[in-house]
Amino acid sequence: MSVDAGTRPPRRGVPLIDGVEKVTGRARYTADLDHAGALVGRILRSPVSHGEIVGLDVSAARNLEGVAAVVTGDDCPYTYGVLPIAMNEYPLARGRVRYRGEPIAAVAAVDAETAQRALELIELKIRELPAYYTPAEARAPDAILLHDNKPGNVEREVHHQFGDIDVGFAAADLVREETFSCAEINHAQIEPHASLSEFDPLTGRLTVQTVSQVGYYLHLMLARCLDMDTSRIRVIKPFIGGGFGARVEALNFEIVTALLARAANGKVLMELSREETFITHRARPHTDIRLKLGMSKTGRMTACELQVVQRGGAYAGYGIITILYAGSLLHGIYDIPAAKYDGYRVYANLPPCGAMRGHGSVDTRHAFETLVDRMARELGLDPFAVRRANLLHAPTRTVNDLVVNSYGLPECLDRVERASGWKERIGRLPPGKGLGMACSHYVSGAAKPIHFTGEPHAVVHLKLDFDGGVTALTGAADIGQGSSTMVAIAVAETLDVSLDRVRVVSADTAVTPKDNGAYSSRITFMVGNAAIDAARKLKELLIATAARKLEARPEDVECENETFRVGHGEQSALRFADVVAAALVNEGAITVKGAFTCPPDAQGGKHRGGAVGSTMGFSYAAQVVEVSVDDATGQVSVDKVWVALDCGRAINPLAVEGQMQGSVWMGMGQALSEETRYLDGLPAHASMLEYRMPTIMDSPPIETHIVESYDPNGPMGAKEASEGALAGFPPALVNAIANAIGIDLNELPATPDRIMDALIERRRKARLSRALKAAS
Amino acid sequence: MSTLLPTFRLAAPRTVAEAIAARRDHPAARFVAGGTDLLVNMRRGISSPDVLIDLSGIDALTEFRIDDNGVTIGAGVTIAALARHEVIAARYRALAQAAASIAGPGHRAMGTVGGNLCLDTRCIYYNQSEWWRHANAYCLKNRGDTCHVAPQGQRCHAAFSGDLAPALLVLGAEIDVLGEQGLRRLPLSQLYIEDGKAHLALADGELITAVRLPPAPPASAYAKIRTRAAIDFPLAGVAVALATSGPAIASLDVALTGTNSRPFLLAGTDALAGRAIDDKLLAEVDRLVQKQVQPMRTTLTSANYRRVAAAALARRLIADLRPA
Amino acid sequence: MHAPASEPKKRLLRLRLNGRWREDAVGETQLLVDYLREVAHLTGTKTGCDGGECGACTVLVDGEAVPSCITLVARCEGRSVETIEALATQGRLSALQRAFHEKLGAQCGFCTPGMIMAAEALLRDNPAPTEDEIRTALAGNLCRCTGYVKIIEAVRTAVEAGS
Ligand SMILES: Cc1cc2nc3c(=O)[nH]c(=O)nc-3n(C[C@H](O)[C@H](O)[C@H](O)COP(=O)(O)OP(=O)(O)OC[C@H]3O[C@@H](n4cnc5c(N)ncnc54)[C@H](O)[C@@H]3O)c2cc1C
Ligand code: SF4
Ligand code: FES
Ligand code: FES
Repeated sequence: MSVDAGTRPPRRGVPLIDGVEKVTGRARYTADLDHAGALVGRILRSPVSHGEIVGLDVSAARNLEGVAAVVTGDDCPYTYGVLPIAMNEYPLARGRVRYRGEPIAAVAAVDAETAQRALELIELKIRELPAYYTPAEARAPDAILLHDNKPGNVEREVHHQFGDIDVGFAAADLVREETFSCAEINHAQIEPHASLSEFDPLTGRLTVQTVSQVGYYLHLMLARCLDMDTSRIRVIKPFIGGGFGARVEALNFEIVTALLARAANGKVLMELSREETFITHRARPHTDIRLKLGMSKTGRMTACELQVVQRGGAYAGYGIITILYAGSLLHGIYDIPAAKYDGYRVYANLPPCGAMRGHGSVDTRHAFETLVDRMARELGLDPFAVRRANLLHAPTRTVNDLVVNSYGLPECLDRVERASGWKERIGRLPPGKGLGMACSHYVSGAAKPIHFTGEPHAVVHLKLDFDGGVTALTGAADIGQGSSTMVAIAVAETLDVSLDRVRVVSADTAVTPKDNGAYSSRITFMVGNAAIDAARKLKELLIATAARKLEARPEDVECENETFRVGHGEQSALRFADVVAAALVNEGAITVKGAFTCPPDAQGGKHRGGAVGSTMGFSYAAQVVEVSVDDATGQVSVDKVWVALDCGRAINPLAVEGQMQGSVWMGMGQALSEETRYLDGLPAHASMLEYRMPTIMDSPPIETHIVESYDPNGPMGAKEASEGALAGFPPALVNAIANAIGIDLNELPATPDRIMDALIERRRKARLSRALKAAS
Repeated sequence: MSTLLPTFRLAAPRTVAEAIAARRDHPAARFVAGGTDLLVNMRRGISSPDVLIDLSGIDALTEFRIDDNGVTIGAGVTIAALARHEVIAARYRALAQAAASIAGPGHRAMGTVGGNLCLDTRCIYYNQSEWWRHANAYCLKNRGDTCHVAPQGQRCHAAFSGDLAPALLVLGAEIDVLGEQGLRRLPLSQLYIEDGKAHLALADGELITAVRLPPAPPASAYAKIRTRAAIDFPLAGVAVALATSGPAIASLDVALTGTNSRPFLLAGTDALAGRAIDDKLLAEVDRLVQKQVQPMRTTLTSANYRRVAAAALARRLIADLRPA
Repeated sequence: MHAPASEPKKRLLRLRLNGRWREDAVGETQLLVDYLREVAHLTGTKTGCDGGECGACTVLVDGEAVPSCITLVARCEGRSVETIEALATQGRLSALQRAFHEKLGAQCGFCTPGMIMAAEALLRDNPAPTEDEIRTALAGNLCRCTGYVKIIEAVRTAVEAGS
């Protein structure tokens, strides 16, 4: 695949179409919505990690003056979840609690004080059961089961093998095996969770305004859990203060708020504290990895064996998908001739994990890129050279049947190698300084949706009316990533009208067509394509109208800059407004629909779970990280990052840069300092102080290089840009630390205490070997 | 939604005498200065005084004077004012460095010297929400009867984590304390007790009014270890003051914070007077620090790391202060 | 109808909010952030944590950037409080707002009001800060979207526009 970057000029960066709202404070997030007269919702949470509820008496709470409703598990006998086959969670626990903080009951009251007092009046008796905080404990033969139908407390095992690994390892000149452990982390979006629900008893309708990235899924789960007809429910997305995967499944508090609203026949605002937001969790699980790689002397990979154990927490959530991703996304970036994957998703008495930016790919990539680097070192090869020895050649299919249509990784490598001065600097840095690199990739949306309905993957409506304004209606949730701006650009450009003419209405299930939501970086690819499809149809219609007025054939009509003309004839030019007016005659307001569907051959292999990881286009990234390590205190500082990303085509380079920086930086948080920590199942990290997301003082300059490979199916050639660069940071950092001080870390995050432990261990070993030498 | 705070009355004295009187009238009251420690703790329900005595309206507490007798810093002087003071930065460098390293700029703008010295001790089992501590059966320091850090022991090991104290200790600070019995002046080191539950040697109702520093201090520096380069409390913080005559030590003082329930001056540095500052000496200081600090599992970062890192900081600061 | 459980103690408070003096009955235990959002209906100021840890609630009190979530409103008697809503005047964005918009200093926008107010305090005090000074001034404001790169760029752009 040739990368023809540079042959087309870079596009112009455009500020977000809703940016003015954000910088003025006018943007209304869920907690900012008008909640005059709303009741205050509060949740009673389990104080224990595992137990049977043997008594729950809410009568005193219910009788307290000012309390409008109290709901418990009795009010909702329906489970919710992500995959239809794995919905094993109740919005409010029924009979059993499985993690500390699990919702048990909820109250709606006139004010926060009353709601708090009501919670205190609830009498709860729990008979404690043994609790398990590690996969090993949970898988022990005598462990009791968290879910009766899951023997060994294993939610899902995956065993895949592609190619012949025995042959591969036999052919290798070097075979190495290492174990890695990556701490659980959290999205920690700055906006705490919130939900505003209104139930109108007179019409029987429920309106929910909430922080969801996936209004459609929430809509389905609300209908299921409240046993309501979907048509009586409306889910509206206000401004959202970040998601990163935290909100890609229906969340318990959202359903609970709706239950309260219905029970109270009114409006309920639920604002979770930061601690509760952490407890709601659904983020990247603690992962233990064993990885074995075979490599020839020239750095060519011959075989790979990967074992992944994820501590999934107490409920299924996205777990099955995460454990499948962890294996399938081993592929799609390098040419691996043979691979075996064994994945185990294990239950534990901790808050449920879920999807987080780079879903499923990050910890696997970390182990892989770290081990590759170490083997390169052993073989005396340059880290760039090893990656180059294993490149794919698009278009191609990987051993596990993923299609790769565009592949800008080679160019990404060249760009960061040059920009960072790698060749000149590697090995020549002063003591304590180091350079490391790594590559990564991510899907542009899952080619096969979770809820397979046979519908297109995305639908966009365009409305054109007397005012000449084009309104794009999309269910896609803009959560800060700028997807509405992308839709506006795609429509405006296809129509060749000014961006101001386009307005985007997004994510209101009463108004906008259904969308699968903001996850797995699907929006640009799928919704972008649907928007272009819709705009093309609208344009055809306008051109036909113009042709009629100009008495020309449609194919001779040109449309440029809101003007329609035949050839270059100036006098026959028609203004946009005139064409719109003509198009509306006899028709009235025009609505057109665009859609996008992934062709079946892109939807993955036939093996069980083969759809997960499949996508129409992978983004690719390479990055170089420069660090300084203080070997007296173990403190690491990141001095600079150079990152190149193949996003197909940058529809909005400004937004692409922002996403690249944000994702690299989020990878940095995971690599350097972020981790959740539980003390007997209690979240000790559940604050912005103890959950150490990097501050501006810890954050390096991040130099971005956009590589454009023009994906044949992407909208304007575009692929995703928000996730692909994340997974490369942790291994690049660990590789840079090795380069700086010769310490090979197998644990994330690389906190000063872990580095210090490794330094102390090295000194101990050196002493030991000196002593041994002296003795012999 | 309004945030829930325990109910309290707010008293706003204009003079220190009024403040002391208010405290006498309400024995369960607390002083509040910047509130950047106390209000955070009240929001978590670990402190619920019935009356808050607001010190911010007392002009006398914001005195900041530098003259031949040294420096007087009112307890109400903000951390930000201290951090940006040129004379402090030039002559009492450890203090300026410590001040600049505290929390974030917003906290420094509100937080005060008095509040920083009287900061509550911290522990991962203590600085948690009411729900959390309730689920964990509370602990010795607050409403409970065992310590989760050292369940066998009878005392609380919560760590003092203020940054100013070690800097002030090596600079020879004294404090003025006002109570019903009148004013007393004591060395800062006497303010602290090695007990996480009661770490301040203040009698009921006593108020710190000012900190005094002698003129012409030796060269000094402060550094702290933390996970992030801002916001975080010190996992270990070290201040050093060093006077030399020629290549030899004339006097050396080292003080630590973040590792014990009190900030303290390292014992045994007197014996190092006259010594050259070489690797051997630094190794001795390292050993002294490692022996005297008592970090416990009160932070998510391991206790041993805090011990080793504290020693490393001490070595580095001394080496850096060594005349070229 | 439901009645509240107890009537909290109130006092009359006079402060200058975004340039205008006003009087309100406020609870003695009320936090400035709750006053701004619930009483004055200025929801531009955000809450991102359980107290004092994220900077999302940063406002100016007498020109200094402080976290409003650990400030008692009663202590703002007679003082001047400024929020993000005050920055755009006469239909124009302030230089900082414009720069945050144009340079993509705001992605999800949730940290943005606090971030801009912290930067505003800096620029009033020091119209030509260095990059280090910018970082120091914003060190208490967490952002989860931008990696801070474009935030720094935005502040520098505003500085250049102002000089
Ligand atoms: C996120 C965060 C990070 C922080 N990081 C740091 C850090 O890195 N380093 C650090 O040192 N601190 C840190 N702090 C704590 C705090 O901001 C500072 O220590 C500040 O200086 C405390 O001063 P204050 O005036 O706000 O104290 P207040 O909260 O007003 O008071 C604290 C205590 O001191 C008592 N008190 C106050 N003044 C007097 C007086 N004159 N006499 C007697 N008693 C008095 C009060 O009764 C109270 O018990 C942090 C706080 C937060 C929220
Ligand atoms: S050290 Fe022990 S007693 Fe003290 S706060 Fe921590 S757990 Fe409680
Ligand atoms: S809301 Fe986080 S510091 Fe105020
Ligand atoms: S822009 Fe989203 S938190 Fe900063």
